[in-house]
Amino acid sequence: MKTRSYEHRNLSGGAGLRQSRRGFFHRAADGVHGAALTYLLGSDVFSQEGLPRANLLPATAGPRRVYDLTSRETHFPPRARSVIHLFMNGGPSQVDLFDPKPALDRMHGQSYFSEIAQDVSSPQQAGGLLRSPYKFAQHGDSGTIVSEVMPHLARQVDDIAVIRSMYNSHPNHEPALFKIHSGRLLPGRPALGAWVVYGLGTENQSLPAYVVLDDPLGLPVNTVQNWQAGFLPPVYQGSRIRSTGSPILNLRPEVDRPTMVDRLQGDLLSRLDEIHRRQRPGMLQLDARIKSYELAARMQLEASDALDIGQESQKTLELYGVGKKPTDSYARRCLMARRLVERGVRFVQLYINGQIWDNHTGLQGGLKTACDRTDQPVAALLTDLKQRGLLNETLVVWGGEFGRLPIAQIPEGKDLSSAGRDHGPRGFSLWMAGGGIKGGVTYGGTDEIGFAAAENPVSIADWHATILHQLGLHHDGLFFDRNGLHEKLTDTFKPRIVKEILA
Amino acid sequence: MTRGSTRVIAMGCARKMLGALVVFGSWVAFISSTNAAGVPRFETHIAPLFKRHCVKCHNAELRKADLDLSTPQGLFRGGESGLVLVSGAPKKSLLYEQVHQGAMPPGEETRLSVPDVETIRFWIESGTPFVAEIALEELTAAAEISNHDIEPLMRLRCTACHGLRQREGGLDLRTKAAMLKGGKSGPAVVLGEPANSLLIKRIHAGEMPPDEKLIDSGVKPITESEISRLERWIEIGAPEVPVSPDVASTEMDRLVSAADRQHWSFRRLRSVAMPRWSALRESAAAPRQPIDLFVLRKQREKALQMAPEVEQLTLLRRVTYDLTGLPPHPAEVERFLTDEHPDAYERVVDRLLVSPRHGERWATFWLDAAGYADSEGKRSADPIRPYAYKYRDYVVRSLNTDKPYDRFLLEQIAGDELADYTDSEKVTEEIVDNLIATGFLRMAPDGTGSDVVNFVPERLEVIADQIEVFGSTVLGLTIKCARCHSHKYDPIPQRDYYRLMAIFKGAYDEHDWLKPAFVPGQTKVQKAGRLLSVATDAELSQMTFRNIQIDKEIEQQKQKQTQLGVTVRQQHLEEQLKSVPAGVREPLRALLTVAPGERNPRQRELAAEYEAQLILDDAMLKKHPAYKRAAVEIDRTIKSLQSEKVDRPQIRALWDRGVPSPTYVYRRGDHRQWTSLVGPGVPSVLTDGKTPFEYRTPWPNATKTGRRLALARWLVEADHPLTSRVMANRVWKHHFGRGIVSTVDNFGKLGVLPSHPELLDWVANQFVQSGWSLKHLHRLLVTSMVYRQSSQASPQQLREDAENQWLTRMPLQRLDAEELRDSLLAVAGSLDERPFGRPDAVHVRKDGLVTSIGKQGSWRRSLYVRHRRKEMPTVLETFDLPQMNPACQQRPTSTVAQQALFLLNNEAVRALSRDFARRILQHTADPVAQVDRAYLTALGHRPSGEERELAVQALLNLEIEFAALPGAAENSQDSAERALAVLCHTLMNSAAFLFID
Repeated sequence: MKTRSYEHRNLSGGAGLRQSRRGFFHRAADGVHGAALTYLLGSDVFSQEGLPRANLLPATAGPRRVYDLTSRETHFPPRARSVIHLFMNGGPSQVDLFDPKPALDRMHGQSYFSEIAQDVSSPQQAGGLLRSPYKFAQHGDSGTIVSEVMPHLARQVDDIAVIRSMYNSHPNHEPALFKIHSGRLLPGRPALGAWVVYGLGTENQSLPAYVVLDDPLGLPVNTVQNWQAGFLPPVYQGSRIRSTGSPILNLRPEVDRPTMVDRLQGDLLSRLDEIHRRQRPGMLQLDARIKSYELAARMQLEASDALDIGQESQKTLELYGVGKKPTDSYARRCLMARRLVERGVRFVQLYINGQIWDNHTGLQGGLKTACDRTDQPVAALLTDLKQRGLLNETLVVWGGEFGRLPIAQIPEGKDLSSAGRDHGPRGFSLWMAGGGIKGGVTYGGTDEIGFAAAENPVSIADWHATILHQLGLHHDGLFFDRNGLHEKLTDTFKPRIVKEILA
Repeated sequence: MTRGSTRVIAMGCARKMLGALVVFGSWVAFISSTNAAGVPRFETHIAPLFKRHCVKCHNAELRKADLDLSTPQGLFRGGESGLVLVSGAPKKSLLYEQVHQGAMPPGEETRLSVPDVETIRFWIESGTPFVAEIALEELTAAAEISNHDIEPLMRLRCTACHGLRQREGGLDLRTKAAMLKGGKSGPAVVLGEPANSLLIKRIHAGEMPPDEKLIDSGVKPITESEISRLERWIEIGAPEVPVSPDVASTEMDRLVSAADRQHWSFRRLRSVAMPRWSALRESAAAPRQPIDLFVLRKQREKALQMAPEVEQLTLLRRVTYDLTGLPPHPAEVERFLTDEHPDAYERVVDRLLVSPRHGERWATFWLDAAGYADSEGKRSADPIRPYAYKYRDYVVRSLNTDKPYDRFLLEQIAGDELADYTDSEKVTEEIVDNLIATGFLRMAPDGTGSDVVNFVPERLEVIADQIEVFGSTVLGLTIKCARCHSHKYDPIPQRDYYRLMAIFKGAYDEHDWLKPAFVPGQTKVQKAGRLLSVATDAELSQMTFRNIQIDKEIEQQKQKQTQLGVTVRQQHLEEQLKSVPAGVREPLRALLTVAPGERNPRQRELAAEYEAQLILDDAMLKKHPAYKRAAVEIDRTIKSLQSEKVDRPQIRALWDRGVPSPTYVYRRGDHRQWTSLVGPGVPSVLTDGKTPFEYRTPWPNATKTGRRLALARWLVEADHPLTSRVMANRVWKHHFGRGIVSTVDNFGKLGVLPSHPELLDWVANQFVQSGWSLKHLHRLLVTSMVYRQSSQASPQQLREDAENQWLTRMPLQRLDAEELRDSLLAVAGSLDERPFGRPDAVHVRKDGLVTSIGKQGSWRRSLYVRHRRKEMPTVLETFDLPQMNPACQQRPTSTVAQQALFLLNNEAVRALSRDFARRILQHTADPVAQVDRAYLTALGHRPSGEERELAVQALLNLEIEFAALPGAAENSQDSAERALAVLCHTLMNSAAFLFID
């Protein structure tokens, strides 16, 4: 609780103004609206326990008549309630993480350029086939294979399903990111998260439904367009929550005013609105607006609370790697993600600055750095969700926009020791966990050298449809009428749900 | 050669056999009933089934969806969705999927029985056997190759460099004749001898198309199958089949039936009789406009009542917002209250309609529909469109001058073909306006300014988006659906989509493309963008004059900066002199006026010791605190002045370039699968089906096809089925909150039927007969009794007319994004009413807050804020400003917590409330009068007794609170102002402010 630098004097003579928050909320004359407004206007003189919680029953399925975030029924019983998307910007190298290729060891150094020439973005830097600098081993009861750069995840493999046969259709970051986020290579279409909250609303009206935790160090490629609502109403776009300062835009005024001023204003506004509403019976918009003020008030309370990882035990903080380099920053966001889904946030998306997985050069060091920053926090998130019984209702997805080529990329004037890998959209790996996903599974495969998805290829539309499916939504049933068309996340593709990885 | 000959012979045999089988009847007679193992055969089992269920539409003549199921060839050739049969694989066969899912035949009664579907499945699974001996591979092979397979291929891979605009090596590859003629290295093609044809040799050598030029010219490498197709064509002697493009003729169109043309909105506009007043006389209130009669008649049928007339000031606020997007000014409220004329309201309407703010408000709706944006979109970089604003200004000006809608459309659809602009002697303002107007067709997102996405598919995306916008905005049809297949619901064959594309092809040609603009860093070869530099003499001299003015201002700024330097140096000197021994001060002053070379030894000595300390060199000056800030400010001003200079007026126009490439229908919209050749034309269903589309060069020797001009003239025919209805309905929607056709962008079969069909036609007729005057239309609607109804609904109305489709009240509507922002500025007195010109830039704060940048504490209307797709001002986005991808036909209205947070906590809103308070303080210091004034300004009326009491009480309490703050005692004025600002802020947050009755 903040302390004020001034003593407020009770000049207007209202003794009742000093009562507890609980009492205040129950003052019949003000109604919830007035109380919420007072709180909303920046006052935090009361404890939070008395604030009424949203109690909104799910509406029945069908097109939304009012564009809001009320929770809605699914098409069929869901396996997951929330999604945490750990987006790995840059294109993590499948053949160095999840998809070992003995053929690369065998054929290391051999030229392969002409076979894949049309897929090489920087032909002048193309080297021969490049074996992985890391060792792979089987882990867990399932024997899932993970390379040595992810030692923490290696202990959680029995909870995850690795898909080795993902593919994207563009070798550049921007279009590939649009594709993985919104299903098409171009900007302007709603992001996966926007579709999900459009379809399902959210269970906690006091927090944004679709939260984006971006890296304070900088935005990813395509910046805010990654979580846009496209043609869906803007209410469904992702809300950036900052890990420092005011977490949500305009959550608090930039300059505080005396508490009494806030209360007088709140009181006046609620009374004037009450008169306005009284004269216009039956107008649902007015009720909805008043409700939105109440929600805003709750959001002020709960957003700060949800993001306060200071409430976590030392043990938990250590588990994630908070307060320790190089994990601290990502660990904080992973921990916040857990606190958010715990509170009913529907979709949480985590970003990391720059493109740490974009290892064009110095693969050996670069990939390790990326893993060192994220491996422990990610594994901790799984452990933590599981120990709190949240993993079975939270779908965790990890992955980038594409993978990397099996051949070396050698910068001009350098040798193999500084080699990296160029973008490889034709085959890449990602994993999913929790929310009805079968653990310990490895699904699909790439060709002998890991260049392209070969066995049971999974398209991005398939992947999207599978995520929707776990949330109890059918990809064809989730649509928005626009200009005479049923617009869908999966567009005109005919996706297949990857049933093989479902529990 | 050998391979070819064998194949030709085999084909010949197959043809003979098929020839014997063409007539169904004879097949049936031909059956041998002793088929092995009961496997169904085509002739015995499948053909009769098709005949019963499918060939009514899918026959050789009608070919619905370009599919003919009456012959085996047709069956294996497939239709507009590609192949329909995959022998051996029913699940991969579209035909099976369609009948299996019940999608075909359409309609319940004609559906195939389960055994029939099973028969088809079994037949396909068994490898599609025939009774007769038929070589399946021949059936499934494509028809013989002709120039129609090759010419489009050349366009796709070769003619960017060997064609119309460029003839590398003197070679033109657009036609067979040109290929035979060849270029500097001789003929490109030797008939019958692909291996000896230079064209093939160069391709095989990997030289063509040349790798290094692919990206610059927007060409993708030629594929193996394309090369073999080309070889095969040369091998068989490069046959040419004379096919004239498929266009409408005087013969009845068979793809669209008479029944199709009967849908209400496809019928020509006819005049409508007005309802008789005598029959409705018992109604409570007297009608004011004919539209009232139509509405009353419907209400009577439904036993519903019109709401009572609304209170006068509520009406004033409603109509002021409606016609100008702004709240009524307090002076206007006063004037209205004292106006004794019986037609006081009508006078208000007239005044609002001539206000320059009117065009700004209504431009918003048109710009939404046109998809206006100040950036290109498509790419993450979202490059700025520097000249788009001229189109925005054109729309505002056109609406303000009440440009007739038919002219408005003519200019926007075909402004470049209306008058000759190439002869610079004759360039008039009107001609410039014509060209700016075509910006309507340049608003689609366009990423092709960037080399990596300037290939044929991306260009087709631009065209498709533009056709979508055109279709939805002007025609109210979802034409875009017909790009990949014939429209599923409306009678728009795929052919018609491509005919429309052919109309636009003189300007938008995927094989002869212009980049939207030069985007630095995104394109290797700098080429002029799709911009025209056409200007009137007046414009040019104005520009020169303006540039001279700017140069002068820049010069002044530079002098100011120099002067500042002198002053700072002088101050520095004086400052430093204080720290040197008093005795040397004067000698130092003296020596500084002497050039270093002319100093005496004593002076040189002194200089060596002290000069560095006394004199600021340039680098030090730049860092000096007294200089730095002001100098940076001046630099910034200079930079902004420089950016205001114009080289030469540029227009973001669309213009016909006279030589369109042929238009082929693309199967499934895929540019690599061209099928039939079509010519320009309008959707058949909107015509009588037997009228050719005629167009001609618009003026002698014009390098223009005149196709778009013909389209535009057709659109503005007085009885056009859609043009006037769609626009009248849009205008209706914006006044009454809901269209007579509630799907404003879809008048097709999936659209909602009009609630008042006669009324819509009556209004459309009025619109046309008034000379397509939009202001006439506005006046007609807002002076009606329907419009003057109260927005309050009785429980009966809410129950029986929940959606208000019978207009039993006016809707209660939240301010939209622009109205809200503009109102906040207006009531604060911070609205800068300067119209037009380059959009105001925005600032993107690190936390994502996007705000527009104002000038000296005031901001222009939202319309003039830069509309860059990826960074729209937060306030507008929070209140539902849509993203333009490609356009927005109906805005959603959401109600979310972020809106409340914005209005309550955003610092800019709070600052405006303080401006608002100061504005009131200029009028009065009396709290009661202040409250009244605040109400009048923000809400357009005075408070009720109850409201006044509450507000005054709060104001006094707030003042006490502020006065009690430490340090406030000395300045009671300040406390009063702060208290009043809170009151103003409260009103800006109130429901009464946010909603219009």
